[in-house]
This record gives sequence, structure tokens and C-alpha cells, in this order.
Amino acid sequence: MRNPFVMNCGVFTTSYRQDMAFHFTPLAHLRVMIIVALLFLFPFMVNEYVVSVANLVGIAVIGALGLNILTGFTGQISIGHGAFLGVGAYTSAILTTKLGLSFWIALPLAGIVTALVGSIFGIPSLRLKGLYLAIATLAAQVIIEFTIIHWTSLTNGTRGMILPAPQLAGYSLDSDRSYYFLILVLALLATVFAFNLFRTRPGRAFVAIRDRDIAAEVIGIDLFKYKIMAFALSSFYAGIAGSLWAHYLTIISPEHFTISVSIEYLAMIIIGGLGSVMGSIYGALFMTLLPVLLRTLAEALSSIFPDIESVFLGLREAVFGATIILFLIFEPEGIAKIWKNIKDYFHLWPFSY
Amino acid sequence: MKKLMWLTLAITLTLLLVVGCGSQAPKETPEKKSGEEAAPPEQKEPIKLGAIFDITGATGDVGAPYADGAKNYIAYLNSQGGINGRKIELIDIDYAYKIPQAIEAYNKLVKQHKVVAILGWGTGDTEALVEKIRQDKIPYISGSYSENLLEIETHPYNFLVAPSYSDQIRFVLQWIKDNWTDTSRNPKVAFIYNDTGFGRSPIEDGREFAQKIGVDLVDEEIVDLKALDATSQLLNMKKTEPDFAILQETSNATATVLKDAKKLGLTTQFIGLNWAADEKVVELAGNAAEGYIGVIPFAFPYEDLPAIQEIKNWVESNGGNWAEKNQKFIQGWVSAAVMAEGMKRAGDDITGEGIQKGLESIKNFDLGGLASPVSFSAESHRGALKARLYQVKDGKFVPLTDWMSLPER
Repeated sequence: MRNPFVMNCGVFTTSYRQDMAFHFTPLAHLRVMIIVALLFLFPFMVNEYVVSVANLVGIAVIGALGLNILTGFTGQISIGHGAFLGVGAYTSAILTTKLGLSFWIALPLAGIVTALVGSIFGIPSLRLKGLYLAIATLAAQVIIEFTIIHWTSLTNGTRGMILPAPQLAGYSLDSDRSYYFLILVLALLATVFAFNLFRTRPGRAFVAIRDRDIAAEVIGIDLFKYKIMAFALSSFYAGIAGSLWAHYLTIISPEHFTISVSIEYLAMIIIGGLGSVMGSIYGALFMTLLPVLLRTLAEALSSIFPDIESVFLGLREAVFGATIILFLIFEPEGIAKIWKNIKDYFHLWPFSY
Repeated sequence: MKKLMWLTLAITLTLLLVVGCGSQAPKETPEKKSGEEAAPPEQKEPIKLGAIFDITGATGDVGAPYADGAKNYIAYLNSQGGINGRKIELIDIDYAYKIPQAIEAYNKLVKQHKVVAILGWGTGDTEALVEKIRQDKIPYISGSYSENLLEIETHPYNFLVAPSYSDQIRFVLQWIKDNWTDTSRNPKVAFIYNDTGFGRSPIEDGREFAQKIGVDLVDEEIVDLKALDATSQLLNMKKTEPDFAILQETSNATATVLKDAKKLGLTTQFIGLNWAADEKVVELAGNAAEGYIGVIPFAFPYEDLPAIQEIKNWVESNGGNWAEKNQKFIQGWVSAAVMAEGMKRAGDDITGEGIQKGLESIKNFDLGGLASPVSFSAESHRGALKARLYQVKDGKFVPLTDWMSLPER
């Protein structure tokens, strides 16, 4: 084995296997292993509140990955992601409370049902692009929300549904720490799957469709099939995230899945980086932590300037908006690109030419 | 390229700074906690009370004065020596009316700050939290008066300081029936509400009660909370010629309905439940609000009551501007006062269960006219048993009825 601590000064692959490798150097491999190990140790190093925030981040990561597959990689805008989360959450709730199924069956079923619903709403994507498709998915948001509110015999309407926490071998995952591991494992699986997806034929087809759909069709990509597949995959992710959200809270109502949730997810992938797997993760982290961080900052400063807290609170919405605008102007490719720039800088330093 | 580097550097530095602050907070808490455990109760540690308010979100227009009222009450109480010789430390979080942020805030309050009780806000987030509230045994008084929260077996830690929305709609229907003089037919009523948990909360109970007492429900219209136009719904409603229309909305939508009704020349008498009736409606609807009736569970700051005078003196002696305070300020004040009474009655047992017992022992708690006297018991957390109606005259809500008992369900 090569010394893992020497910097690499270029990538020289001699086989296809090496060319397709995730990590080009042993150091990179080691780094990923350390990060994963740290993620597993994380809940034992911090207090329960931090774990609960991490859970919210983890659910957002899965949802954002799903939306990024559809919007970032396939170029199909969706403003209905919040509603698709709702489909997953309600499917899971109905399966566990009305049919008495176990969470472990309800979770994949929630993903599959949401994938089916998502592909139905994906059908117009063959004819519609850009803004027109955005409005079509907006219709999905409105229709699904309306259905959830008015199909009271199934969804309990605006009163919401109460559902059980998952059980694992007789042990209930109702604490933040135990639920953290469930979310972590699923988020890791979701990430690894997304990474690998874009090394496969369907994944490359998605990217080709995003870049120029007519050209993609000319080279033999079945647009209809792959567009629907992107919708199905994206909705599957949303369904899983929704199911996790439902069983984490153990109570859901239509107010959890409004259009503002859809927009928040769009903001996540824009800030994190469209068309980047890591970007979805950074975006989910950023959007979930921003309010927490701003408040912590306000609290820390309030000991010096007593009145700053109220000013900061008012500023929050403005900060959200300004962040998105600044990203669109200065770094449309999001945090993922900024991080890459930083890495490149240190890679090449001191000979940055 | 250079610009980019500066930008990334700036962002990294900010993040480092923020992360630095963030990692400090968890470190602090265990120390405090261990100190608390070691300290005997005689040392008079402050009691930690949590609050989840909406100051900057969608309902910030009514949420901000509510929060202001609650904070002022706690400050007032502390200036009077606190509860049983212990000060109250109010830890409040603005959640901007977003459910995930409410959950995050709740976790922070309960798991990091270890608060013993919480003052909450909206229907959506309170209902999202009920399971956690039950598990963590956190007495919870929120600004939501949804009848759902009264199911005592499933929600044993939720308390309502005002009549539930269902009680209010029954109260209005009963008042309509009692004041109906035309013996040839029943009074005709329409419901106007929004498609949220809050809006739909009293509708089912309202339908049943209307049928029970012989009021004809002729129409139901959905008007969105953010609606700027309600003409089509009102034209629809006009066809059925209701004598009364009951509104379950917030101030903005109510003002829209009242203005459009005036424009269309409707003669229907509009009656709003508590969130549809406050100073803001009059301000927004202006002339169109004349004659509008509202269920008013809390006093207006301009009323001539000794309790109001006391609050006014407190606010003004602390540099506040009394003219800026509205009815929601009083509401926040009352909610905090009821919670404090529960804590006082808990004595030395300042735990979730102790405060629950304290609150449940409250019988006819006199609030000096700021709100109906509050009573709880182990069987019922229906705090208020009386309600009253106010009518707008010359741009001001004035009493139409006195406090009257709520009708039998």
C-alpha cells in the first residue's frame, strides 16, 4: 500500500476499475471512513437537543437528495416536493394505524406508493418544460394537499393522524438518540445510492436529458421512460423522508406539507448545489441550521447588546432571502462548488497557476 | 477569482464563529444542570419556563403582542418577588409559525434548558407536539383553543385558558337562537372559515349544535386566511340569504370579508370568533366593520377595569407605551398569569406533574375582568366557562352582552 499521507499530485489511472473508483487515494478513503465513524459516534458526544437537530437535518438530507435527482440532475423542476413528503407520511400512517402493518414494511411501501403518485404527476413532463412544468407540479401540490384535507375518512382531515414510533426487536425507537441511527443509516444508503446512480446508464441518461433533451432523444434515450423514472425515484426519496418524519413526530397533519415546505426544499438544493449529491447534503444542513445558528448568534450577542435579539429575529427572513440571491449571483453551483474551490486552492497551493 | 476567495474566506470565518458559539451552548448546560442538582431548593434557583412564540411568522401580527404580554407578565411577577420566593426565567423562542422549527424549539427548551412548562402558540404546532408533551410531562398553555386539545386521556398536559373554538361557535349559535324574535321561521346561519386545522376546528361541532337547537345552517364558505377577495364566496352566500354569518378566521381575512360584504350590500350580521375579532379588524375594514360582532374572551386595553389600570401602571413605569398595546397583549398576559398560578399552587413540587396538579386545582381563578374566571380539574382542562360578545360602534368594540355561561354541549 502507498503511504496514505503523501499528497497526490494528479490522477493516473491504468484500468477502468480505477477510473470508476470513488476515492482515488487511500487518504480520501480513510477520510470517508473517519467521517462515517464520527457520524455513528456523534450522538454520544453531544446532548440530546443537538441530536434532535441532527435528526431534522437527516430527514431533510433524504428529501433534498430526492429533489436534486429530479431538479438538479434531470432538469425537471418540481414545486410539489412538500406534497410528496406528505404522501409518504400519510401512506406510512395509514398502513401502520389502519392496517396494523409494522413500520419496517410501511417504510418501503410509503416510498413505493409515493413513487407511483410522483410518476403520475410526472407524465406531463414529456410535453412541458421549465416554468410550465413548475406550474404542473404546483398543481400536484394543491391536489395532494386538497385530497389529504378532504378525504377525512382515510386521513382524518385537518385533525391529523397519530401513529406509533417504530419498534426494533421489542425496543421502541422513540428517543432522539435511537431514532438518529435509523435516520443515519437510511441517509447513508440514500447518499451512496445517489452517488452510484450517476455512474449507471439511467443516471447518465438523466444528465443527458437535463443538458439537452432533444439531443438525448437523438442518441436513443427514451425520454418518456427516463423522465418518469426520475420522477419516481425522486418521489421514492420523498416518500421515505415523509415516512421518517411521520414516525419521528408520531403525529402529522396537512399543515406539515404545505407549499412552503416545497419551496424550502428548492432553496436547499439551490444553496447546496444543483446537480451535486454532496450539495444536497450541504443545503439540507445549511437550511436547517440557519435559523438555529442565527438564534444562537443573537443569544450570544444579547449579553453584550441587550436589544439585538429582536433585531436579529426580524432579520432572519431577510437573511434567508438574501442568502439565496447572493448564491444565485456569486455561486449558482452552491456550497458544493465553494467547497470544491477551497479544496482546489489547497491542492494547488502554493503553485496556483 | 480573488473576489471568490475573499467570499469563501468570509463565509468560512462566519461559519467558524457561529459554530464556535454553537458548541459553547451545550457545554454550558451540563454544568448548570449539575449545579442545579447539587443545590438544595433553599438556594432559590429560578424556575425555567419555556415559550414558543410567533413574532416574525405568518401570524406575527397577533403573535408579537401576545409574546410581549406574556414577557411583561413574567417581568411583573419577578418584580413582585416571583413564585414562592423563586424568580421565573422565561426562555422564549420565535418559531416563525413553522412546524419543524417549533419542534426544534421544543426540543431545545425541554432537552437543553430543562424547562418545567411551556407557553405555546399555534394550532398546527401545538397539535404536532401533543405526543411529546405527554411523554415529557410538560404543562402546555397555547394560543390555540382547538376542541381537540381537550381530550384529556390523550392530551393530559394541554390546558385552554379561553373557551374552545367549538364552545365559542355554540355560544354564538345559542345567542342567535335566544335573540331571535321571528316565530314564523328559524334563524338562518352561514359559516365562513379557512381550510386549516384552525379553521375547520369548530365546524363539525357547530353543525351539530345548530341542528340541535333549531338554527338553520344554510351555507358554508371557505375563505383563505390570506384572501384579499371574498366576492365570489359572498355572492354564493347571498343566494341563501342567511341572517347571520359566523367567521372563523384571523383579522386579515375577516377584514376582507367585511369590506366585500359592504361593497355587495349584504344585510347579513357578521359574527367572528375570537381570532376574527380585535382592533386590527376595525383598523383594516374601517367603516365596513361598523356593527360587526365578535366573541371577546379577553379585555381590551382601553376598558375601565382595576386590573387594566394595574397593567397600565406597570407598563408605563417600565418605559412601555400603553397606547401601542392591544387585546392580544392582554391575552398573552392572562395566559402567563394562569400558568404562574399553576406553578404557585404546585408549591415546592416544581415538576411537570406538580404544575399539572397545581393547574388542576385552580377553581374560579379571578382575573379581574381581563378574562372569564378560569377553572380546571383533573377531568377537564376546559378553563373558561363563560364568554361574551362585543359589537363595533364608532370604530370601537363595546360590550354587547355580559359574561354568560357557555351552553350545554
